[in-house]
Order: sequence, then structure tokens, then C-alpha cells
Amino acid sequence: MTGDGWHAVSLSNGIEAGCSAGTRLFDKEIVLWRDTDGVAHAWEDRCPHRGMRLSFGFVRGTHIACLYHGWQYDAEGQCRFIPAHPELKVPGTIRVTTYLCRERLGMVWMCNSPATASAGPAVAERVVTPVRSIHADCPFNTAVSVLAGHGTVLDQGVGLLSIRAGELSLLIAAQHYGDARTALHVVIEGAHDSYGSTAQIAAATWAEQIRLELESQAAPAAEAIAHRRALR
Amino acid sequence: MIELTLHDYELDDDCYKIRLFLSLLQRPYAKIAVDAYPGGEQRSPRYLKLNPRGLLPILADGDLVLCEADAILGYLARQYDGGNVWLPSEAAPFGQVLQWLAFANDPLKAASAARRHAMLEEAGSDGTAIRTARNGFRIMEDHMTKREFAGGEWFVGGAATIADIALFPAIALSRDFGIDHDEFAALRRWMGRVRKLPGFITMPGIPAFY
Repeated sequence: MTGDGWHAVSLSNGIEAGCSAGTRLFDKEIVLWRDTDGVAHAWEDRCPHRGMRLSFGFVRGTHIACLYHGWQYDAEGQCRFIPAHPELKVPGTIRVTTYLCRERLGMVWMCNSPATASAGPAVAERVVTPVRSIHADCPFNTAVSVLAGHGTVLDQGVGLLSIRAGELSLLIAAQHYGDARTALHVVIEGAHDSYGSTAQIAAATWAEQIRLELESQAAPAAEAIAHRRALR
Repeated sequence: MIELTLHDYELDDDCYKIRLFLSLLQRPYAKIAVDAYPGGEQRSPRYLKLNPRGLLPILADGDLVLCEADAILGYLARQYDGGNVWLPSEAAPFGQVLQWLAFANDPLKAASAARRHAMLEEAGSDGTAIRTARNGFRIMEDHMTKREFAGGEWFVGGAATIADIALFPAIALSRDFGIDHDEFAALRRWMGRVRKLPGFITMPGIPAFY
């Protein structure tokens, strides 16, 4: 499968307890949600009942419920409750595809191969200060090569880079969102106490600049593709 | 006696701003449902007398008739919010609120156009409206991201203002025209705060459960 292994898909603070949100990995729709015990989950973004996206749903305790008909799934992806049939013992076959999910470097990571059990992403844990996630309309490989011009690729496999931005040392994990879109998850190396909000604002502004740079790189390529298609 | 009358269309995002704000202010009002779609009643001779532009919402308060959502929000804030919280009186935050009200018209009117195209099959939209709306949401996301670092929870100042009310519907309804909330983590958190305001109400397209 394309993109086996671990990928950062959000900052940890991008998924609050009791909340869900959608994302994509290699164009595959993923729901990220955090139960009220604080555990993050990454699943296929699809309710088995009617195919509704679970990222539209709502979290109650350690269950997530589909917005359409309220079918509730436990933390293992097993359907536990169907409101229209409250007495029914739900068959074990009604399950959502789940992915392994871990948190490192202030980010949520998921393993894009359900069968592969693994300890977690091969990145050393360190103390970080969250900045933001930012999406750029730019292919993943272009994004990583442009970012590499600003710093060092720490791990090509998980898309992790170390970048120097002025006084700040940033860690950035790149996410292959879709063919033409990359998400960057940006944190500052070091504790919040030693940086504070001024550094976070500076890093966020730097990320906005990088988005401009990535999209100006990607725009000519997108035009060239459109041009080639037009010639066909 | 109820003096306030809102000429309203349930699916209109501008009308929703007024219904939401009246609910937050806990002001009772009479609601007149206008057959905007498919009837186009807001462009009938009777309604053109109230608003020559043929648009909703229209608010009547005694003899006063007001059109344009921003004007109505501003009026309701001045008239019925004695504490000047929703529309600050101090010059700097007052100016900032007006800046975001202008933003809710341009670029965010593009979001309304894209939604009407997607849902009511209104003519137009070659994707430009969707791109314009997404760029607008990015500007909002960049702003709220940096506001949060300094402890800010609202677009302006330390409490919710009519700027938050004016900006909320376009992003909250954006999935109606195909813009997901994936890339807007700060706006997701901000929308969660708007939803927790006492008196918050939804409209079709904004789920009650979240």
C-alpha cells in the first residue's frame, strides 16, 4: 500500500478531548477523534451503516456517534449501540476500520497499515511547544525538498525535518494529504516556558511565509499539468 | 408587547446571524417567514418597498426598518446591549469589529454565493467563489491561531462581539459547498466556543450535536 508506516496527521492540540475532525492521508479520508479520557483515535472516516463521514459525528465518553442515525462505536471501532434498535445486541461484524495511533512531539501519528503492529513512530520524544498545522496546495515531494532547503531532513520516511527560523529551532512533520496538498505540523523544540507566545507567533508567521513559498513553487507545476492535459 | 419583527428565511446565513444574535441577547421577536426560495418573495413589490435591494434579512423595530445583516447587528447591539460588550465603545476594538464585519461581506459573501449555488442551484460559480471563500477562511485561521497564543478566544478583545456572530455562519456551513474544516484547527476551537455561548442556536446545516 502507498505510504505504509507512521505519519503525523495533526498537532495534539488540534484534536481536543470530546472532539472529532477529518483529515486525509494519501487522499484517504480519516477521522481523528479524542475520547473524554484523552486518548486519540484515527479511523477510516466512514460509518458502516450509510457511509456518512464520522468526522461529522460527535464524541460521548469513549464512544463516537455518527451524525446520521447515532450509531455508536467504542474505542476499538466496534459498534455498541443502534438508537433505532435499543434492545439489539449489535453484531460483531459492524466495525469501523481503525489505525494504530500514537502521540509524539506534540503531534498525533497514525500507522497507515492496520496489520502492522509496531511500537510507534521511530522518532525520539522531546519537549516541544506547539505552533500550528498549515496546509499548502503543493505535492508532498515538492514540499519536503523546499523545506530541506531551509534545514535538515531528520527522517525521510516519516517526513520529519529540523528547521532553523531566526532564533528558533522548529520541528516539522509533513503529511501527504493528497496529490496536490501537503499538511505541515509545526512545533518549536523546547519547553513553552523558555519561549512563550512571542516565539509561537513568530513561528506561525514563518509558517505562513512557507505556505506562500510552497504554493508559488507548486503553481507553475500545476499549470504545466493543466497545459499538458489541454494538449491531449 | 413584542416590537421587533424579523423578515426571515430559515436557510439564509445572513438571516441566521440575526436569529442567533437575538437569541444570545434573549430578545423576543416576531418572525415572518419569507418564501425566498423558490418563491423569490423578497423581490416582490411589497418587499421591495421595505428593501429596494430585494434581500433579507429585514428588521422592523417600531417605525425603524433596517436592512443588511451588519447594520442590524450593530443596531441591536447598541439598542439592547447596555454593557457595550457585543459592540465595544472604545475606538480601537470598535474599529476592529467593523474591520471583521467588512470581511464578513468581502471575501466571505463568496461563501454564501458558493453555498446557494451548491444547495439551491443558483446560477454562477466556476469554482472562483469557493477559492475566494477558502482564502478568507485561511485569513481567519491565521488570525485566530495567533490570537490563541496570547490567550485570545475571540476575533476582537476579551469577549464575543458581533464580529464573531458575523463570521460564524460562513465557516460553520462551509461543508455545504465542499470546504472541509480539516485545515482550520483554530477555527474549530473557536466554533466550539461560539457554540457554548448561552443562548446559542443552530440552523439547518449546523448540527446540534458536535
